[in-house]
Amino acid sequence: MTPSSRLTPYLYVLPLVALLGFVFGYPLLKIFEFSFKMVRGIDGPWIGFRNYQLILGQSLFWESVLHNLQLLLAIPVMVAISLIVSVLLAERVAGWKLYRIIVFVPFVLAIPIVAVVMKRMFQFSGPVNEMLRWMSLDFMALDWIGSSSVALWTVMILIIWRESALGIILFLARLLSLDESVTEAAKIDGAGWWRRLWHIIIPEMRGVIEFYVVVSVITMLAAVFSYIYIMGGGRGGPGTSTEVVELYIFNALIRSSLPGIAAAASVMLFLVTGILIFLLFNVRQRAEATQ
Amino acid sequence: MDERALPMFTRRSLMLTSAMLAGGAALGGLSRGAAAQVKDMDMWYWGEQELPGLQKYVNDSVARYKAANVKPMLQDTAVVISQFQTAAAAGNAPDVQYLWNGIYHMESVWLGYLRGLNNLVKPEVLAASNPTLLSHFGGDVYRTGWYPLPMFWCYNKALFEKAGLDPEAPPKTWDELLVACDKLKSSGVEALGGGIQDGYWSEWYITHSLPQQLDSFGEAVELFIGDRDFRDPKYHEHWVKLEELKNKGFLNKDMSSLELYPGIDLVVAGKLGIGQSIGTRMPADSKATGGKIGYMTMPVFGKGKLAATPVVDVQGLGISKDAEDPAAAAAFLEFLQSPDQLKAFWEATSWLPSNTTFDASVIQDPSVRGLWQNWGLTPNISNVTNLVPGQFYERAAIPTGQQIVAGSMTGEQAGELAANTAKEWKDFNPDMVENYRKWAKDLASPT
Amino acid sequence: MSAQALQPGAVVKQAVLLIASFLALVPTLYMVLTALKSDAGYAVDKLGFPRAPVIDNFRSVLVDSPFLHWMLNSAVLVAGSVILSTAISVLGAYAIATMAFRGRNTLLAVSTSLMAVPPVVMIVPLFVLYTRLGMVSTYTGAILIYAGLITPFSVYLLTTFFRTVPRELYEAAHIDGAGQFTILTKVVLPLSMPALVTLVVVNSLYVWNDLLIAIIFLQDDAKRTLMAGISVFSGRYNNQVPLTMAGMVIASAPMFILYVLFQKQFIRGLMSGAIK
Repeated sequence: MTPSSRLTPYLYVLPLVALLGFVFGYPLLKIFEFSFKMVRGIDGPWIGFRNYQLILGQSLFWESVLHNLQLLLAIPVMVAISLIVSVLLAERVAGWKLYRIIVFVPFVLAIPIVAVVMKRMFQFSGPVNEMLRWMSLDFMALDWIGSSSVALWTVMILIIWRESALGIILFLARLLSLDESVTEAAKIDGAGWWRRLWHIIIPEMRGVIEFYVVVSVITMLAAVFSYIYIMGGGRGGPGTSTEVVELYIFNALIRSSLPGIAAAASVMLFLVTGILIFLLFNVRQRAEATQ
Repeated sequence: MDERALPMFTRRSLMLTSAMLAGGAALGGLSRGAAAQVKDMDMWYWGEQELPGLQKYVNDSVARYKAANVKPMLQDTAVVISQFQTAAAAGNAPDVQYLWNGIYHMESVWLGYLRGLNNLVKPEVLAASNPTLLSHFGGDVYRTGWYPLPMFWCYNKALFEKAGLDPEAPPKTWDELLVACDKLKSSGVEALGGGIQDGYWSEWYITHSLPQQLDSFGEAVELFIGDRDFRDPKYHEHWVKLEELKNKGFLNKDMSSLELYPGIDLVVAGKLGIGQSIGTRMPADSKATGGKIGYMTMPVFGKGKLAATPVVDVQGLGISKDAEDPAAAAAFLEFLQSPDQLKAFWEATSWLPSNTTFDASVIQDPSVRGLWQNWGLTPNISNVTNLVPGQFYERAAIPTGQQIVAGSMTGEQAGELAANTAKEWKDFNPDMVENYRKWAKDLASPT
Repeated sequence: MSAQALQPGAVVKQAVLLIASFLALVPTLYMVLTALKSDAGYAVDKLGFPRAPVIDNFRSVLVDSPFLHWMLNSAVLVAGSVILSTAISVLGAYAIATMAFRGRNTLLAVSTSLMAVPPVVMIVPLFVLYTRLGMVSTYTGAILIYAGLITPFSVYLLTTFFRTVPRELYEAAHIDGAGQFTILTKVVLPLSMPALVTLVVVNSLYVWNDLLIAIIFLQDDAKRTLMAGISVFSGRYNNQVPLTMAGMVIASAPMFILYVLFQKQFIRGLMSGAIK
């Protein structure tokens, strides 16, 4: 090889490394530095672990963490919905192609748009409550977005509605790549639908389900900002009832002018997602190995 | 797009860029090209967004002004503070700069980007323009008033009549308010409220209610930074009163799921008796109802010296440290306060200029004229929430009202939350405390 | 198929899918039907079909709110970031897939794991840096960030795809004397159209739909994106539900139309790009 051709690969990956370095590398190093500083404007003095102390001593932070954890409850529901729908689609029941187009719709619509629409539907004097009252279920006609004890659950409904579409997409992709002879053989053996689902299909899908669960955990912990922001009229709420860690970081940076605090919270969030990403890697490798 | 609904949101959200710059000298900045001649001046302003017609007025005014060649530039909402501070850090700030009230320009004062106007602008002109107390720091004044934003409780006169209430004598005391609410409710409409989902109603409630127990705004600053205690009953009584309205069933039921302006629309539409509103809405709302929108100060429960005082927030103009000829800039500000200019302002914007000598006879709508006479020309106070640090605003000022209205917090708990937040702010921002304490001294007089 | 339809279970299956489809479509139906109602009509009947459909709402949205302007801003960002990211990813993925060099596996592993890093973690330093460089509210600044955020996925997908291109093709081209770049553009890329379409679909959706980066890095009114615009718009017309819904119909129209027209590409793209 000539020296120039030995350099060629590096020339090809140089822009990639530069871009990733700028958008991921620089910020991920910098949040650690900032997290130990009292940042005013663009820099500030070292203050050791003070930022971490302040955050961990603040009830609002723990409230946010608790809300993120509460959102994890949505995941089993999402998995169940995705499984049932994707398995039915994969059986190619009559009209499955049309159904497939329809059940993917939630994933095509942007979160802010859906959040605005859902917010109107769930308004106190909105159509959902009107429907419930019409069905004489008045006790269920809650103040879905105005009450602090209900608001987070309402956001969760929206999240389940949209993120299940991702599960269906993922599971269906896996199911369609499955060897049909196995299920056909089971059918001939007279195994019922549920038995086949439980004993043959789900074990085959274990990898992709694990993958989806880990991705969803990351979503619930660190990627629900758009849902919360729009449903809560630009700040979450009422009050701090739907505050999550992402919003905590956003507020610290944007509304309280405390980049150091925002950075320290980012570091903690990054470390938690880092562990999950490691998990994700293992899960994915296992999923790929089984495919 | 008409952005009148949004000034507060945008103002709050851009504290970010501004405070970002506070720490270090910004690089770059806007270059103004060749050295300015003596008679060239720059003016950066905002306001067309909340007051359509302002741009035309400014363009006409600088064309009429012969003493200097003023180049105006309309700024974007998001960059009003940051653009100015960036330029000031680079030594290129415009001679004349638009300034929102309170903390929104005080930060620039603390950074040394603005000039005190006491020895630049004629005292009588400065006073007539009502820069408000919130522009005072270290004994000097940093803005001239440009146009006022009266803030008040509004009510629907037709609904008052229907409920057997005197539409020309709105309730003055808390007890009278409770009676009025009761009658409104019995007449089949919702009594009081608006929309609190986006939180601004909560801010406005503090604007009107907190000063009732205060003798000065300095006291408010001390509350917000934790030098005084919100757990003291007199400092959270206003939240207890809101709780009372909630418990008596006087607040509109969908209040928690509505936003600020749609909530005011309910009063205009005759579906809600009493609400909170702002002056710039008055001409349109008054017209839409055939003059049936009334205004009042918040009925009084408190014993502070500021109780029952009308609230007028004022947008203003200041002179930057980079002005090459500060006297010339001051002359231009004085020109904007001259009688002909005040008249031109009204004609271009259909809204009032901030000057107590403005000839109000040109105002046709009696409600708008009355509002100016009763709010702009009487002793008034500014908006106390313009003193609130961002952290307190997000953590306490907004959530307290929302939670009380949603029935998930008592007034006393609100006081607790506010006290904790003030303490928290001090822990998080030890470097800012001294500035606020010094400011509190300037704000120690009642008005 | 017909034999299956006779089974009693098939009825249940159809019912389940019908319910799922209905739930998936409810917000869309509500949005469209409500947009066609007048305020008064909506007040009386929030659920049913509009009795006398009106299109005034659409007109007022387009006249009073800069929806088209917001869409244009979003389109600029989508085009800029997708083109930039695709170009950079094609080069990088090609090298990773076909050339031997030190750090190749590490680069792929790191890049792939970045896919899962939530964007919120990166905003603080980028925002501080942009403030210092005067890059807040610039298209360049936002495009760079978006391009960076979508690149790990692009590299992952393209590397996987390039590896499936038969080795003989490279070797044949190499013997013909073609340089690496020529092989990439003349041989590999034409074969990679399906992967590229997937990339464009998934990445465009991501950038078009993003809110977080848009509200932090494009604060300027004139540069507001569609998603940031929606949050402003919905607050302003909160109690004019039909008008709000007309706005949402307009806002969702571009992606919806693309989805209906190109369902095959979309579905394929979504199914292979589901990790995003």
